[in-house]
Amino acid sequence: MPVIAVRDLAKTYSTGAVEVRAVRGVNLDIEAGEFVAVVGPSGSGKSTFMHILGCLDRPTRGSYELEGRDVSRLTRDQLADIRNTKIGFVFQGFNLLARTSALENVELPLLYRGPSVRGAERRRRALAMLDAVGLADRVDHMPNQLSGGQQQRVAIARALVNDPAILLADEPTGNLDSTTSREVLDLFRQLNA
Amino acid sequence: MTLLVTIRVALKALGRNKLRTALTMLGMIIGVAAVITMVALGRGAQQEIETQIQSAGTNLIRVRAGNFRRGGVSMGVGGAPTLTVEDVEAIRREVPGARYLAAGVSTRDQVIAANRNWNTQIEGTDVELPLIRIWDVETGVFFNPSHVRSAAKVAVLGSVVRDNLFGEGADPVGERIRIRNQSFQVLGVMAPKGTGGFGQDQDDTIFVPYTTVQKKLRGRDGTNISGITISADSPDNVNPVADEITAVLRAQHGIPPGEPDDFMVRTQTDITTMRSQMTQTMTGLLAGIAGVSLIVGGIGIMNIMLVSVTERTREIGLRMALGAKGRHVLWQFLVEAIVLSLVGGVVGIGLGFGVSESLTRVLLWPTAFPADAVALAVGFAAAVGIFFGFYPARQAARLDPIDSLRFE
Ligand SMILES: Nc1ncnc2c1ncn2[C@@H]1O[C@H](COP(=O)(O)OP(=O)(O)OP(=O)(O)O)[C@@H](O)[C@H]1O
Ligand SMILES: [Mg+2]
Repeated sequence: MPVIAVRDLAKTYSTGAVEVRAVRGVNLDIEAGEFVAVVGPSGSGKSTFMHILGCLDRPTRGSYELEGRDVSRLTRDQLADIRNTKIGFVFQGFNLLARTSALENVELPLLYRGPSVRGAERRRRALAMLDAVGLADRVDHMPNQLSGGQQQRVAIARALVNDPAILLADEPTGNLDSTTSREVLDLFRQLNA
Repeated sequence: MTLLVTIRVALKALGRNKLRTALTMLGMIIGVAAVITMVALGRGAQQEIETQIQSAGTNLIRVRAGNFRRGGVSMGVGGAPTLTVEDVEAIRREVPGARYLAAGVSTRDQVIAANRNWNTQIEGTDVELPLIRIWDVETGVFFNPSHVRSAAKVAVLGSVVRDNLFGEGADPVGERIRIRNQSFQVLGVMAPKGTGGFGQDQDDTIFVPYTTVQKKLRGRDGTNISGITISADSPDNVNPVADEITAVLRAQHGIPPGEPDDFMVRTQTDITTMRSQMTQTMTGLLAGIAGVSLIVGGIGIMNIMLVSVTERTREIGLRMALGAKGRHVLWQFLVEAIVLSLVGGVVGIGLGFGVSESLTRVLLWPTAFPADAVALAVGFAAAVGIFFGFYPARQAARLDPIDSLRFE
């Protein structure tokens, strides 16, 4: 059984008179352990598709089954749990919490975990994650004190901190130099292995 | 997410915008401080009344001519000439529990001494008044029965009158004062007594024999008096004695059963109760007005919380994207509102305490710290936080993650 099964998935934005068909009838199965890349030109609907897969947005047509469960039937709270523990999401625009240290940003998903994680444990796991993305010396920096690439790496650390089964990364190397890009992709491959 | 974490997150959010947090709290602080101060002032006044009653003597009974409760024509207290000296004698004869009695006729007039003059209360009374009111003569003497019998032109001054006619602390004994172009001899000065049961200055008065007021100042020779002041022989006996006096006076005046009294008998307790009720109403009114500012403070909190929710839409969206549920967001904002109102409330209590203390120290207004009002204010502050914080918090909790993330 595929982890992700998408049938005829479509998303249409209607802003006033214009209808934007961002995603038009996607069919896709992803098995556990697969490493998949979605490619396309700018504005082709990659982010829109990823948001739907990440249970952040709902499609206007078609079905999406996650681990055999029809996502459209899940409640808001169930979706929140899935986003928290099953899926790690790296946003294209990072979406770090402003005026909040890198460490606390990475700790965020741990705050909302079902059985609550104790403060010391949260800190330990967040530090380990930041270390894995090479930011051990920047844990107390605020987002505006970090470079674009560093911010992106904080976002990656945050997506991984809850040890999710699925990692969705929206252009995770868009702001990185080629060396760091390779490192990040290596990190993903390592996690995938 | 535990409550502790929620509180920490809320505190951090409040700490990010300290000025705004402080200003929002200010509404709450002023509201709570105002309530505390008002109640403290009211309680202080209450306590002072109780002290005054003790100083006035708990055994006091006053009889006034006329009865405003009488149907038809409104007479006003003291308006009808229904009490006479014979009534006083009847009470003295028939009510043994009435230990001291003093007939009273009062008037107000200009009093002149040498080059100064002063408008004051002229209380015509009897020799037992100092015993009834538990009030000593400071210098000189009170007038005696022969002064009363002969309607002598003698006067005992209250300390305020002495201060205004002869200068502060002067000894006017033996001096002469003029009332209605008649010369009176000053016999003595009463010890200062302070403010009376109805806020009047008891020291702003002159005592003369009641016969003198009847014959020399009112210009009409009669036996009518406007009131009788009586002291019962024991505090427990006040009400029985008051009842006996009523019975004696009804018999004296030949009032048939069923007809209303043409006089009024009041005990000190009646007066106290009335005065207490007045103060309570006043305190309630002031605390109510102050309470309105609490509500205004609450609306201020709601306003800021709504602004805050809009401002932090992206933050809310992000938290939801990372797994925060509606209730997590709800609690985060609710706790912020409660912290605002509670901290504001506690600071307000401190401020209210400080203000009442200063009022007592600087203006010498009596205040009493109201412990129950403090508890009430804290409870009310929390309630305001919950009430006015709930709507913005629920707005936040209902947001959609992706729409909020895209919000600008
Ligand atoms: N909320 C929205 N309302 C209306 N149109 C939208 C909305 N979000 C995206 N779109 C449109 O949908 C299309 C797909 O956008 P999307 O962000 O998914 O593209 P993308 O493939 O991620 O592009 P990029 O590579 O530049 O990130 C775009 O044409 C965009 O204008
Ligand atoms: Mg995109």
